[in-house]
Amino acid sequence: MSTETLIGAWVAVGLSLLIYSFLYKDNPFFKLAEHIFVGVSIGYLLTITYYQVMVNKLYLPMMQQGKWWLVIPAFLGMLMLSRFIPPIAWLSRISFAFLLGISSGLAIPRQISSFILQQVQGTIKPLITVGDSGVMFTFANLNSLLILIGVVSVLFYFFFSIEHTGPVRRVARIGIYFLMISFGAAFGYTVMARMSLLIGRLDELVLYSSAAYGHATLVLLAAMILGLVWWERRQRPES
Amino acid sequence: MHRFFLRLLRLDRRIIFLLVGLATLLPLLFPLGFPIRVSPEVKKIYDHVESLPAGTLVLLSFDFEPGGKPELYPMAIALLRHAFQRNLKVLGVTLWPAGAGLAEAALAQVAREQSKARGRDFVFLGYAPGEANAVISMGQDFRAAFPTDYAGTEIAEIPLLMNVRSLRDIPYVLSLSVGFPGIETWYVYGKEKYGFELGGGCTAVSAPRFYPLLNTGQINGLLGGLRGAAEYELLIGTQGKAIAGMDAQSATHFLIIFLIVACNAAYFLTGRTTARRS
Repeated sequence: MSTETLIGAWVAVGLSLLIYSFLYKDNPFFKLAEHIFVGVSIGYLLTITYYQVMVNKLYLPMMQQGKWWLVIPAFLGMLMLSRFIPPIAWLSRISFAFLLGISSGLAIPRQISSFILQQVQGTIKPLITVGDSGVMFTFANLNSLLILIGVVSVLFYFFFSIEHTGPVRRVARIGIYFLMISFGAAFGYTVMARMSLLIGRLDELVLYSSAAYGHATLVLLAAMILGLVWWERRQRPES
Repeated sequence: MHRFFLRLLRLDRRIIFLLVGLATLLPLLFPLGFPIRVSPEVKKIYDHVESLPAGTLVLLSFDFEPGGKPELYPMAIALLRHAFQRNLKVLGVTLWPAGAGLAEAALAQVAREQSKARGRDFVFLGYAPGEANAVISMGQDFRAAFPTDYAGTEIAEIPLLMNVRSLRDIPYVLSLSVGFPGIETWYVYGKEKYGFELGGGCTAVSAPRFYPLLNTGQINGLLGGLRGAAEYELLIGTQGKAIAGMDAQSATHFLIIFLIVACNAAYFLTGRTTARRS
């Protein structure tokens, strides 16, 4: 095994354990790992952005391929930095206006088509199936019916122009049940996702506890516990 | 009994953390082999990949970063294994800056396993900055979006990309997405305009958001979280990280369900007992 892999494993285990120490209580080891994470993430993002955008998308095409028109977006980008200089901060509005115009023009028609028109189309589906053997009501039709009832009742629940009394109240109430079921499903999926993260982490911690990695997990876990005990003793007021 | 219920309600959260940790760790060390059933949305992606003729280009977008690795990396490995088994040509990209390293590692690992050559059987183009603009740019002029691959090789020198001018030349796109940009970006700015078929894989937390797209056929299948990855591994007949993790997933779910039911029961039962006493 290469030295880089071994160092990487020890660093990964150490930082994971420092972060997990928060489960005991907030402590300086957790804060240390948190700050390292923030610093490394921002540093990584800046480096990637510099090379992938500034160098690959701007500098190289301009210098090697002669795409001098890229000066215009570069200039617009630089105008955004004028926000840091109050007397000329208004210049950044030109860039923001350009961005807003382009983004709205691109996004609005596409979003309406994808998430409104197509979804409405998906809601309006046949509630019965007409086949050779006559008219049938299948499970697919039941699903279509449930989707229709769900959409209509939830829309009623969010309809605030009239008071929710009488039949409107009853339909809105059905909407609440549909919303509750969807929140429950979303929460169930959230639990599953969080557990998956824990499984992924523990899986690697188990892997790194092997002799091939110098029992990294076991050694660093012992060190972590000792560190927490030491920190607890320091915290205790002297009697 | 009353005292037990009261103790249950006052359980220190650290004991719950410990129980969840044990419920996760023990099945990883001693697998239980809980059954896994393949869901239709996962089968649809599998069937679509099966239906593609050998040599078809498939674009796999690794739209995740290390935070989504436990769920999406096993998915990527399973999809790549299947694609390479079917002799499909894989084009890897990522819309997330921190996704490049993971994508490169996944492609290199599976290519090594199945003796596939870079440039001939697969290519990794790296990070495409600009989110939605990146997809639009790929649709308009693929070579302008990616003048070189991740390793710096000129696109014109890569045999796999000889006939790729736009997203229209790619029949199937799969986005493994941890958030935005991801499946929605590929659908809204890609599929709608350039007409390729789109499948998706996502973290469990974002899966409910994509079921409406699945219902309307806007995406042709969905792998949701670690479970989706495990189902796909089952379909292609490999025992990967996802299947190994499903026992731990089930065990923790059992524990959480038990705690929710027991604590709710304790809450109502202690309430009644207290009321009766008073």
